[in-house]
Amino acid sequence: MQSFFMETRVKQPIYINGVPTYDLYLEKYPDKEDLYINSVLATELPAGDYYEFIKPTLFGYFDEICQLFNDNTEIEIQHETYLPLSIQVNGKYVFKIEHESTIFTVDTELGLSEIRNISNKIENVFKFKIIPLLKRAGLYG
Amino acid sequence: MAKFKVDKNSEGLLTPVLNFEAEIIVPETYKSFTFIYNGKQFTVNGSELKPDYLAFEIRLKLESLLSSSLIMELSKHSRKTEYLRGFSLRKISVYAEGTLANLRYVYNDKFLEFGSVLVIPPYKDWSKLCKVPLTIKTDAVSNVKSLYELLTEICRSAVTVYTNVNTVNEILKILLQSIRV
Repeated sequence: MQSFFMETRVKQPIYINGVPTYDLYLEKYPDKEDLYINSVLATELPAGDYYEFIKPTLFGYFDEICQLFNDNTEIEIQHETYLPLSIQVNGKYVFKIEHESTIFTVDTELGLSEIRNISNKIENVFKFKIIPLLKRAGLYG
Repeated sequence: MAKFKVDKNSEGLLTPVLNFEAEIIVPETYKSFTFIYNGKQFTVNGSELKPDYLAFEIRLKLESLLSSSLIMELSKHSRKTEYLRGFSLRKISVYAEGTLANLRYVYNDKFLEFGSVLVIPPYKDWSKLCKVPLTIKTDAVSNVKSLYELLTEICRSAVTVYTNVNTVNEILKILLQSIRV
């Protein structure tokens, strides 16, 4: 996994530069091996040691998703359902959901069976691994 | 084939009416044949289809298309009492290797359309439907979760879709037989 970003909201704020913050933006930049929260290096925050402790596990979970693909892949995931909204391989969309007015349009170069397998895997990694881990670290919910 | 559309409409009527329209262009002669059924009479280019049993046979097959499990699935998403069921082929493209089209299923105000599906000749393997690139359009669901459930339903209904496509082919065969092609 090269990079990811993810928005979360927490009930108990974390203090970033002394400011209680509820809306979080978790991120890993493509050229760095660290976790950033609202653009601040996670290790510099009050619970920094714990964030550093969970980081390899968290990144490992994202790696599990990336292992579904061999090539350079970008996946957009819906925050409520953890289901893929789009998948680009080498810059080309191989799956895309669009919603306009009351109409949903799905364009897929991959078969629906494959899409179902991919979405099940991603949904399970988020539901049973990433979200519980972030919850334990106070970075979600 | 240039057109294939069947529906059963009861809007403003005491009993539902089965409507059908198909257009076939015979490649050898480039002659176009329009088949219409208006619930009472079957016509080919305006003349009554003969013999009668062909019309009966076609009606039975059209009814089976309107009983597709995908139409039943759409019915779960419509809050209105049934007034319309429909099945049609859209975006029909004819190639030397075969004919591709979008399959459109309608229930009342809801639709589900997906393609391009190989209609002529039908896929040899029914499960192929979920292994090929597709475009799916629908207004039957309101969120991403339900959309994914509908995608699953399409795959679960792959055998039905295969049967529907075969039924279309059988109807086309009868239509061609009626004009002796």
